[in-house]
Amino acid sequence: MSTLLTVEGLSVRFSGLTALDDVSFTLEDGNVRAVIGPNGAGKSTLFNAISGYVTPTAGTVHLRGQELTRLTPHEIAEQGIRRTFQNGGLFPALTVLENVLTGLHAQTQGSFLDILLGRSKALKSEADNIHRARELLKLMSMDHMADTRAGDLSGGQQRIVEIVRTVASDPPVLLLDEPAVGLSPVARAQMMEIIHRLAGEKGVGILLIEHAVELVMAAADRILVMAAGARIAEGTPEEIREDRAVLEAYLGHS
Amino acid sequence: MSQIMPSARQRKMRTLLFWAVPAVLLLLPLATNPYTQFIANGMLVSVLVTLGFTLTIGNLGQLAFANTAFFGIGAYSSAILAAKLGVPWLLTIPLAGAFGALGGFLASAAALRGIRTYYLAIITLAFGELMRWAYLHAKPLTGGTDGMPMPRETLLGISLTDDTLKFYIFLAVTVLLVKATLNLMRSHFGRAVMAVRENEIATASLAIPTARVILATFMWSGFVVGCAGALFARHVGHVFPESFGMLHLIASFAMVLVGGLGSVLGAVLGAVLLTALPEYLRAFPGMEELFFGLIVAGVLVAMPMGLASLLRRVSPIFVERFYREAP
Repeated sequence: MSTLLTVEGLSVRFSGLTALDDVSFTLEDGNVRAVIGPNGAGKSTLFNAISGYVTPTAGTVHLRGQELTRLTPHEIAEQGIRRTFQNGGLFPALTVLENVLTGLHAQTQGSFLDILLGRSKALKSEADNIHRARELLKLMSMDHMADTRAGDLSGGQQRIVEIVRTVASDPPVLLLDEPAVGLSPVARAQMMEIIHRLAGEKGVGILLIEHAVELVMAAADRILVMAAGARIAEGTPEEIREDRAVLEAYLGHS
Repeated sequence: MSQIMPSARQRKMRTLLFWAVPAVLLLLPLATNPYTQFIANGMLVSVLVTLGFTLTIGNLGQLAFANTAFFGIGAYSSAILAAKLGVPWLLTIPLAGAFGALGGFLASAAALRGIRTYYLAIITLAFGELMRWAYLHAKPLTGGTDGMPMPRETLLGISLTDDTLKFYIFLAVTVLLVKATLNLMRSHFGRAVMAVRENEIATASLAIPTARVILATFMWSGFVVGCAGALFARHVGHVFPESFGMLHLIASFAMVLVGGLGSVLGAVLGAVLLTALPEYLRAFPGMEELFFGLIVAGVLVAMPMGLASLLRRVSPIFVERFYREAP
């Protein structure tokens, strides 16, 4: 097991407000680390700071020892940290297949001129990507939906396609922002299964924001608990269950 | 709703159809008189103008109205290069395209600074008016209100005032640029363009450099429309500032919408229909604008997605997809 992601002293301050306060942790390959905490705890800010959508005011992010702090979102994604979005990040007017293909953008060969002239180098790369996208959809039993507009899918199907698109390029690190929100129990179980498979079989390091407690307890190897932008506890699901600070954060003082 | 996709056989037919249209058009000069030939040439110019416009406003989804500016830049570049520097007109086409691309670069600078929607609309409109002001006032270069005549020139012993010769050149340029644009739209680049329109934040998370995509789309759009400007200069033989005002912008906007926003096929249909329409309406003097307006409004009420959507319902051959299966 090797360390993929190292977050050290990450802080985000908006004029006067500390959204993220000196957060540190590591993520190993094949591990699922859940980030939990009440609303406004800074979970989403943590994701945005790691993926480059918010510039941290202090601290560093390293992927396999390489510093990524202050790179732009597309550069960070290219380095291998990919994320999903809480409100769904699919492109509704594009089909399922086209959506998954956008996840393979950086892997595509051929210059602008190659594409304009329809040179075989560009066509070959496109064909390879289509093949790969179809395989991935088949793996998730979504291949029959390939030509459906993403906007016409059910909420659960949209989440699955978004994950397929996000992992299409085989990123070592995946940030999932509330992947189970609004899902039916059946879809939720399927999401669990997908998370297990990505971590267990592909060795992806997964950072997971989730409110569904049973999903967190079942899926996570370790849990990071946040409140008011800071880390208040860290440990295995069993340890977190017993932690007094966590109970207080969620339920208030008894 | 799962859309019916063209089968492998239908994809082959589509390719055949794509090349059959210009092949048949090669015979068109046999069926035209000087007047209808002139109209046909104008259609080809409009196809390129509409194509460039639909890319930025439809595919990229930016409320950018600098299209007529690109067109004017192309036309004046061609005229100035040909008249002042003696560059053969044929050679001024790609050069006018390059200047149009430069215009696209300038227009995208606003979009790249995060200026969007109505604000981008007003800035790009101002850009267009600024260019018109420049044509009017840069008299030594542009001839001001008198405009610029295109110099006499022959090609293969035929005068470039010959509409049949112009038709073949326009057709070749149009087919080339439509094909290249289709290649572009059906590649990872084309998907990235639409991804930016749909959700720019999510697009960046897929390792797609959104700023570069926006820049390249504007520049390619400027190139296509700039080339159209060079064709236009030869088409009318004399460029005037008035050709590149609001009226032209609104007419090309109507062509984009009537054809179908963000559709290459729609750009062709809209341009052809709305270039032909005023000629038919000449039979109703005094009522031309009224009928034109009514017809445009009627088409849009009946088919909000434009004429291209009508064809898609007829056959899956016309379904445009943004990927390209191996042949």
